[in-house]
Amino acid sequence: MAKESTTIDVGEPSTVTKSSSHVVKDAKKKGFVAVASRGGAKRGLAIFDFLLRLAAIAVTIGAASVMYTAEETLPFFTQFLQFQAGYDDLPAFQYFVIAVAVVASYLVLSLPFSIVSIVRPHAVAPRLILLICDTLVVTLNTSAAAAAASITYLAHNGNQSTNWLPICQQFGDFCQNVSTAVVADSIAILFFIVLIIISAIALKRH
Amino acid sequence: MKSDSIAVDVPAESSSVIKGKAPLLGLARDHTGSGGYKRGLSIFDFLLRLAAIVAALAAAATMGTSDETLPFFTQFLQFEASYDDLPTFQFFVVAIAIVAGYLVLSLPFSVVTIVRPLAVAPRLLLLVLDTAALALDTAAASAAAAIVYLAHNGNTNTNWLPICQQFGDFCQKTSGAVVSAFASVTFLAILVVISGVSLKRP
Repeated sequence: MAKESTTIDVGEPSTVTKSSSHVVKDAKKKGFVAVASRGGAKRGLAIFDFLLRLAAIAVTIGAASVMYTAEETLPFFTQFLQFQAGYDDLPAFQYFVIAVAVVASYLVLSLPFSIVSIVRPHAVAPRLILLICDTLVVTLNTSAAAAAASITYLAHNGNQSTNWLPICQQFGDFCQNVSTAVVADSIAILFFIVLIIISAIALKRH
Repeated sequence: MKSDSIAVDVPAESSSVIKGKAPLLGLARDHTGSGGYKRGLSIFDFLLRLAAIVAALAAAATMGTSDETLPFFTQFLQFEASYDDLPTFQFFVVAIAIVAGYLVLSLPFSVVTIVRPLAVAPRLLLLVLDTAALALDTAAASAAAAIVYLAHNGNTNTNWLPICQQFGDFCQKTSGAVVSAFASVTFLAILVVISGVSLKRP
């Protein structure tokens, strides 16, 4: 009788121990998973943001360089057109080079803020600053691309109503370089729109 | 003895009443402040949308009705100028009309953010669509601005002659349309910033 009661008493402590350890493990696992997924999602967005900025820098520098070096000299003198074409012959192309250079500079200066967003995924101030500045810069970038595109279109096709003649028959290389620069800048604008959407998604409450 | 007990009771009751009310006022104030801050931004958002709609409609209407016919025939230029003579102005009218249409359709979502200031989904949707509309609006305004500048000043390098000496009214209206379009661009840019500020955690 006494021995049997002793055996029963030993069994109870083991049951209590098992249940307590089970609860503790579950709690720890849940907490770890939650913290990891939350930080991971925001950090992933921040890393994607940083990579997009690098891509936009490359594209805008390419666009400004192509437009800046888009000079062409004809090997002969024509009666109506002068024999040299450069980006500084047209105010829209001058504006394009200056605006896109400003955009590229802003992107380089914004990289530290993007890095801060990677290191501290939950910080709000750097993301808000990036969103506001990105909005202003995408407006500048779009205006430069659209102005240059309309002039490029006119250079290719001319306009009969206003008696503006196309110049791309004589300056083929110049027009090709100019068109390439406009297309490159349009790609940068798409990157900017994605950047703004990423900043907005990262800003919202989780 | 009796008068003493009465004197003690009066300050105790009044002090407990004051203490009881203070926490309620504080809580109410905090709650109202949070909603008020976001609701204020939402109301400002709604008003800016109305202003942007007016600016965009004015721009499209001015450009659409900018026809001008000269009373005499000139040797080099035809005697009628209209927005559909230039593809850039055609793009301008179509794009600004699309932006104005989008802004009208976005008003219900802006009203939702006023009624429910803490909701996130409508604000995020508005921000994404506002960004796209901003890009389209800016493209149309800038393309037209480049052509209007060329119409006013011409370009000696490309032998493109200015046409605004003959078509003064046409150029004046197209210039007004471009200015109005840039006003709507400004409003849209502020709208995107407001949406961003509203999205952040309080």
